[in-house]
Amino acid sequence: MLLTATLFAPLAGALLVALVPAARQESARLVALAASLVTLGLAVVLAARFQTGDAGFQLGMTAEWVPAFGVSYRVGVDGVSLPLVLLTAVLTPLAIAGSWRMADRPRTYLALLLVLETAMLGVFVSLDLFLFYVFWEAVLVPAYFLIGSFGGERRVYAAVKFFVYTLLGGLLMLVGIIALFWLHQQATGTPTFDYEALVDFQKAPSTQRWLFAAFFAAFAIKTPVWPFHTWLPDAYTEAPTTTTVLLAGVMSKLGVYGFLRFALPLFPDGARWAQPVLLTLAVVGILYCALVATMQRDFKTLVAYSSVSHLGFIVLGIFAFNLQGLQGGVFYMVAHGLVIGGLFFITGMLEERRGTRRIEEFGGLQQVVPRMGGVMLVITLGSVALPGLVGFVGEFLTLLGAFLENRVYAVLATVGVILGAVYLLWAYQRMWHGPLEREENRSLPDLTRREWAILAPLVAAIIVLGLFPRPVLDRVEPSAQRVVEQTQAPSP
Amino acid sequence: MPLMYPLVFAAFLFSAGVYGVLARRNAVMVLMSIELMLNAVNVNLVAFNAYLRDELVSGQVFALFVIAVAAAEVGIGLAIVLLIFRNRETVNIDEVDLLRW
Amino acid sequence: MHPLAQATTQPLPLPEVDWRAIAPELALAVAGVVLLLVVAFWPRAGRGVLAGLTLAGLAAAAALTVWNWDLERVAFEGAVSLDGITRYARAVLLAVGALATLMVAQGDSREGEPDDSPPEVFPLLLFALLGMVLLAAASDLLVVFIALEILSLSLYVMAGETRRLAAQEAAMKYFLLGAFSSAFLLYGIALCYGATGSTNLLEIADATGDPTADGTLLLAGVGLLAVGFLFKVSAVPFHMWTPDVYQGTPTPVAAFMAAATKVAGFAVFLRVFAGALGGLVVSWRPVIAGAAVLTMLVGAALAVVQTDLKRMLAYSSISHAGYLLVGVAAAATVPAGVSASMFYLLTYAFMVMGAFMVVQYVSRLGPPDDDAIGERSSLEDYRGLARRHPWAAGLLAVFMLALTGIPPLSGFWAKYYVFLAGIEAGLTWLVVVAVISSVISAFFYLRVLVVAYLQEPVGDPGAETAPGRTPALGVALGLAGLLTVAIGLAPEALIAAARSAERILG
Repeated sequence: MLLTATLFAPLAGALLVALVPAARQESARLVALAASLVTLGLAVVLAARFQTGDAGFQLGMTAEWVPAFGVSYRVGVDGVSLPLVLLTAVLTPLAIAGSWRMADRPRTYLALLLVLETAMLGVFVSLDLFLFYVFWEAVLVPAYFLIGSFGGERRVYAAVKFFVYTLLGGLLMLVGIIALFWLHQQATGTPTFDYEALVDFQKAPSTQRWLFAAFFAAFAIKTPVWPFHTWLPDAYTEAPTTTTVLLAGVMSKLGVYGFLRFALPLFPDGARWAQPVLLTLAVVGILYCALVATMQRDFKTLVAYSSVSHLGFIVLGIFAFNLQGLQGGVFYMVAHGLVIGGLFFITGMLEERRGTRRIEEFGGLQQVVPRMGGVMLVITLGSVALPGLVGFVGEFLTLLGAFLENRVYAVLATVGVILGAVYLLWAYQRMWHGPLEREENRSLPDLTRREWAILAPLVAAIIVLGLFPRPVLDRVEPSAQRVVEQTQAPSP
Repeated sequence: MPLMYPLVFAAFLFSAGVYGVLARRNAVMVLMSIELMLNAVNVNLVAFNAYLRDELVSGQVFALFVIAVAAAEVGIGLAIVLLIFRNRETVNIDEVDLLRW
Repeated sequence: MHPLAQATTQPLPLPEVDWRAIAPELALAVAGVVLLLVVAFWPRAGRGVLAGLTLAGLAAAAALTVWNWDLERVAFEGAVSLDGITRYARAVLLAVGALATLMVAQGDSREGEPDDSPPEVFPLLLFALLGMVLLAAASDLLVVFIALEILSLSLYVMAGETRRLAAQEAAMKYFLLGAFSSAFLLYGIALCYGATGSTNLLEIADATGDPTADGTLLLAGVGLLAVGFLFKVSAVPFHMWTPDVYQGTPTPVAAFMAAATKVAGFAVFLRVFAGALGGLVVSWRPVIAGAAVLTMLVGAALAVVQTDLKRMLAYSSISHAGYLLVGVAAAATVPAGVSASMFYLLTYAFMVMGAFMVVQYVSRLGPPDDDAIGERSSLEDYRGLARRHPWAAGLLAVFMLALTGIPPLSGFWAKYYVFLAGIEAGLTWLVVVAVISSVISAFFYLRVLVVAYLQEPVGDPGAETAPGRTPALGVALGLAGLLTVAIGLAPEALIAAARSAERILG
């Protein structure tokens, strides 16, 4: 019940926001912020009630939805999904606060953000494959309107590309889900989309391969895994900044979460069969996107490519099939969400002040906006995995996992770590240090109180989780261990 | 009389009708071609009825229905053609091309 | 002895007249005649009165349908069968009829202008519905033919009964191709009769299992029947008439055609092919599956390049016919194919009617076009609709997303159910094609939303005239939108009802 309340609180908030009279659009912000804070509060209570050490699903709820198709409303959290639920609940209020001064149709924008939150939370907590699919596709609609209606110049192109790309993957997954459902019904006679029942159901290795391929289509496009990433730079760059924060911070986790929660336990043989391919794609993605990021002149696009590159580490960790890799993958999802969210927030703040995101337009900002520079430094270092900050824990564990599985991939991925440090620090250096050449930059205001309120929680989380990752890792461990066992289960 | 004769005759009649519909540009001629097709069906129905010695005479009854409905169809068809002729002074279906054909 | 002479010596068995079995049809016929008389003798009756009478007739028919709900039998010596398909199709058709009545009652014109469709459109609507309802219940090819002609003749007149040249042209094309396809259907019926000795579907079903029946003749007949039905449901390659007709006819009539003829057409398609000819499934399934592939892909691909919303909806309705054909192809061996198709028809009817209602609403904005095409349904007219008319745009979004098949709207479950039936029937390749077509179709449905939501309005919004008061259309739009969302959130009851339609009596 608590989980259901958490899940639908943003949706209820969205309805309330939509009902705010047009003449008083400003109060929509308060309603939206309140709804997202209520969600956060519920999520925190959820985390407090969570039993550490239990690998199974907790705090769940089951209800009939469409019994004719064996579809039910079944939700629950385990150590893998709980951190992601919290991440979503934390980033949404920040994104709403970030959109505080939005002039263009704030009501619609905020309502869509809240709908997006419900859809994304739904993906993380669904324990019925069908429900999962419904939320998966439901993410598309608000994201489409957020990008297409509020984005930059090429927003329509970006939105349609994003929509069609992900819809294609989603529909192929749907075919896979139906086929799995059908096989299960053939074998057992019970029509059900229940996650646990389908995991326990023994599938022939050959079947697993093509079913894995169908799920792979959806997850690889959503993550995105190289070479399915081409929609992403467009979507991230064109979307309004606070949308990008949610897209990069949370939505990009949907794909990797899908691999971890569904593709691996459901099709262990298929996953093992595809492991070399996935590891290769992950490493190629890490290196390729890092190189492309190095060449970007638009800071937002640079961060977008860095996001793809870093997601490669998560894929690498997950497909290492060992505890270190999986645990690190989950931890890195959270870390990535915090860091990339921070980077996009800063981008948005700079853009608000200067109306541009081109790196060469800046330079020497440290003299003008030192506080912003300090925050930027922490977030950048978090992103390049400086020990003691949040990125390090995730990157170290995923690389360790990959190393235990196959050294070559780990070594190549380490090159990606170095490249990541190069392009991010170089961009930092070009923007914040050096001579203050541009006249326009001299009078930039430093962080306002509202901006502090947005960035402070992120910075705090980046430092605290970097120094004390255990509370998160302890909760993730049993569930990750369970996935490892499921993945290494001998084929029938 | 073998069944084949009326069947082949009906097939010819039907094909002539199909050809007329596809080749003729005048709406009235197209309408007449459709009548040919319907009459081919009638020939078939009656021939089958005789061949099958159908006690319910379904074939002949069916043929009567076809004749009646065809009359109604022609009535409506000519009305539509007339309407178009009055507004456009043409019944050539190639010239009636406001909508992409 | 001559067969005719022999027949006259024995008294023909007279069928028992089962009034109850055709009670809804009778109600529609009576209402139609009453309205015809009202129109003839009381020419000044307002549209509101006529619409009210029409709705009363529909309500009576609906009440009788409910009264007959549990009746399962074959009446009139096998000419009419009451089974799940019949009652499901009856319910859907009557609901569609009610929505269409509301749309027609609103009319195309604003205050002070003469109405576009004359008042005869109301009785014609009832007669068309009568034909459709009867078609869904027909289990004799003779009744199939008669019902088909009742509905077609009414629709030909409804399509052309306006001052607009485009509508008259559409009526002519619809008529010529409709009559052409009827001839094919009839030829197929004649051959089936010759091969099996009966026009009754139950007896044809028995005869198809009989090895002494003339196989070649029967297959030729089945082929021609398929051509005729594919024409009627506008499947590729017999779809050429659809875009012109939908674009040209007045929007309410186009909506009625798009929704109701599909329901009736597919009901009889299922009954004849999955029911009576189920024994020949090996022979006809490749044909239907091939037509399904072509229909889905060609319909979706051609819809992408359209610039007129009505025309685009026509192509989209072609591609939806393709998904339904997947259901038909599955239906002979898998009962779920029947229920999936029926459920699809239900959801599709409301989605597409809703889309046409938005078209009707938008065509009332702005000055009337001088050119003969008449109604304003170009995509240009939808630019920035979200800013000018947020409610209309919101409903448009709901219908477009439902047509795309985005969960949790009604269209999603329908597509899902058809895919499920296809996979169950071993037609996985067909389902994969359907998925590809769905993705293509996302392009053009989204394009409408792009235009309505993401583009700025052109010109001076002040120059736009108000749409006038549109109470009937408003109610219809509200109902269609509500149904699309509500079926999406809670499809269980209607799926269960569709499941009860799986058994075909003949």
